[in-house]
Amino acid sequence: MLRLFKVRGNSLSPDFYEGDYVLTLSTPFPAGKIKEGDVITFKQPGYGLLIKRVRSILDDGHRFDVRGSLIDSTDSRDFGPILPEQVTGKVIWHIKKK
Amino acid sequence: MLHKIAEKLDQHFHFESVEAHCDIPCGIYDPHQAQIGALTVIRMVDLMEKLFEEHGDDLSPAFYNSMARYVAVKEEHAELTKHEIRVIWGDFIKEAHVEQYPQLHGLVHKIMQLGSKARQTVDRETALALLDAVNEFAVIFWQIKGKQTKRVNAPQSVTEEIVVPVL
Repeated sequence: MLRLFKVRGNSLSPDFYEGDYVLTLSTPFPAGKIKEGDVITFKQPGYGLLIKRVRSILDDGHRFDVRGSLIDSTDSRDFGPILPEQVTGKVIWHIKKK
Repeated sequence: MLHKIAEKLDQHFHFESVEAHCDIPCGIYDPHQAQIGALTVIRMVDLMEKLFEEHGDDLSPAFYNSMARYVAVKEEHAELTKHEIRVIWGDFIKEAHVEQYPQLHGLVHKIMQLGSKARQTVDRETALALLDAVNEFAVIFWQIKGKQTKRVNAPQSVTEEIVVPVL
């Protein structure tokens, strides 16, 4: 299923900026389809629906280390790796504001 | 062009947002200092009561000196506890967290009140209530950070339980 989201926040800049739109391929799809470097959306308790880049895949695809681009990004350094069941989609198209 | 079209569609369909989310400075927050502050308040109350029991009839300069120091440290650490909670509440806690934990604002207010009461009184029950409230706040804080917690006895002169993350 395809879904369009609006990006809020700049932790993925300079690749993604506040106000950009992203088209995602929503789960269910095999977690194995996610690879390092992919930008994914996922649900994180407390922070809600987030968008981050997969930095590395841990435990044969059972956990994903996700990061923003900026040093002050709130990501796996704060809340730990993401589980496949938290992943809601994978960004397949990016509509830039500028 | 495409972005303009997406914006027009967004005005009609109100697309959900995905948060890139970042904190400045670097998301370094921890309720541990608040817990240490609350433990110190308990310890100072214990020391004040012990000193009074031992020297109540001998109000020497040494007695006043020790009592004054205990009072000063109690004041300082009750205020430290309030300060640390205020910073986490003001800088780290976001609207989404309050929606998820609607008791948060009330809990922070309770900590502020107990911290003040702990300064005004020499009451162990108040000091314990302050630590309890801070521990309750710590549980929520670590849940937001996606960490499980456990209760352990503080390895200090007072051994009341504190909530710590399971790392």
